[in-house]
Amino acid sequence: MEFVSPEGLRLDGRRPMEMRQIRAEIGAVTKADGSAVFEMGNTKVIAAVYGPREVQNRSQQINDQALVRCEYSMANFSTGDRMRKPKGDRRSTEISLVIRQTMEACILTHLMPRSQIDIFVQVLQADGGTRSACINAATLALADAGIPMRDLVTSCSSGYLNSTPLLDLNYVEDSAGGPDVTVGFLPKLDKVTLLQMDSKLPIDIFENVMQLAIEGCKAIANYIREIMLENTKQLEYRRGI
Amino acid sequence: MENKPSSSPTSFVDQSVVPGDVVLDLSNMTNQTLKLGGGLRQDCDAISVMKAGKLRFSNPNKYWVESSQKRYVPHAGDSVLGIVVDSKADNFLVDIKGPGLAFLPVLAFEGGTRRNIPRFEIGTLLYVRVVKANPGMNPELSCTDASGKAAEFGQLKDGYMFESSTGLSRMLLSSPTCPVLDALGKKLSFETAVGLNGRVWVFILFLRPSYL
Repeated sequence: MEFVSPEGLRLDGRRPMEMRQIRAEIGAVTKADGSAVFEMGNTKVIAAVYGPREVQNRSQQINDQALVRCEYSMANFSTGDRMRKPKGDRRSTEISLVIRQTMEACILTHLMPRSQIDIFVQVLQADGGTRSACINAATLALADAGIPMRDLVTSCSSGYLNSTPLLDLNYVEDSAGGPDVTVGFLPKLDKVTLLQMDSKLPIDIFENVMQLAIEGCKAIANYIREIMLENTKQLEYRRGI
Repeated sequence: MENKPSSSPTSFVDQSVVPGDVVLDLSNMTNQTLKLGGGLRQDCDAISVMKAGKLRFSNPNKYWVESSQKRYVPHAGDSVLGIVVDSKADNFLVDIKGPGLAFLPVLAFEGGTRRNIPRFEIGTLLYVRVVKANPGMNPELSCTDASGKAAEFGQLKDGYMFESSTGLSRMLLSSPTCPVLDALGKKLSFETAVGLNGRVWVFILFLRPSYL
């Protein structure tokens, strides 16, 4: 199947280096301490953060840092066929672990010993790149909750089909069986914090594909910055400052 | 796009900042002592932001990030509203919307002895002062001021409590008096207690049949 036409257009009309449209909203879940909705094209996820609060399970308490827990689940209606077991299956457990490790590396956990931070991410609509959208949403939710972080974590995926590196794969391109590289990136510190890949790639092409994903992360970081600054201004405006 | 760290901090003061922003570069400032408040941390030679908010500066050398959240970070000296969760032999366990439950010693009341320990049920609302707030330890509270007098601390009976953000609480407590409280005071007589942890208690003594 042809994923990149001879004119250089992908199946949804994008250029190979073009990302899908992103949209973010802070504060969607009023009960949570911090929350955010993040959309990348048709992929839509919602993240809610609770904490830092008292550890619920005493045996898991860590004496010198905060305990970070993360749960990833997909809504039954998120994919084309109604899903039978949206959480607890292998893929969800793996992605929960990946998101938890990525965010834990970025949260300054030593400032909140013996407390617990819960991150819940729910995929409302899945069209490829759910992992990245979840990490971006979790970053916004953590910042909304005022949890001290080293830097914003942004994430983007890229692939390689028809001998072209493609940025931000959607579901059809992802299920083509080609490589799918997901990168988590700290923009100000300029460090890669998550790197995952399915399938195989020659090492020299891998460099290009990873660099492309990092560029995507930087673009998302700019957008996330703007959203957060806008949100801070809104909060102050409502308080009359 | 990189924001260049500036040695002249005026470019970031009173501006909104997000986690990761480098607001000061110490390599150009020698022999100066800076005081860093909440929301800032030092990373070798760069001062970077931990929380999203507005960067503030106060003479001569204090920097901090002012942000408003739903949860509270306990500091010594703050007056907060707590809800009793449990009572033990020596302490009451009080929830102050912080990372851990706070302890209120049973003797921390004016004229408190072992004979007249107050009995607070679970769910009682208290206006208390934070005495100690060290990271990693449960905060310690007291129902007296620093000199040992009761000074309005203690149980808040009747009335209505609602939750707010920490920023709103600070604004209600700012001086000169917040315009909202002024305007309400002209129409009604009421009693209010504002906790820095994002809880506000209001008690109206006489409610006239009018809309607020």
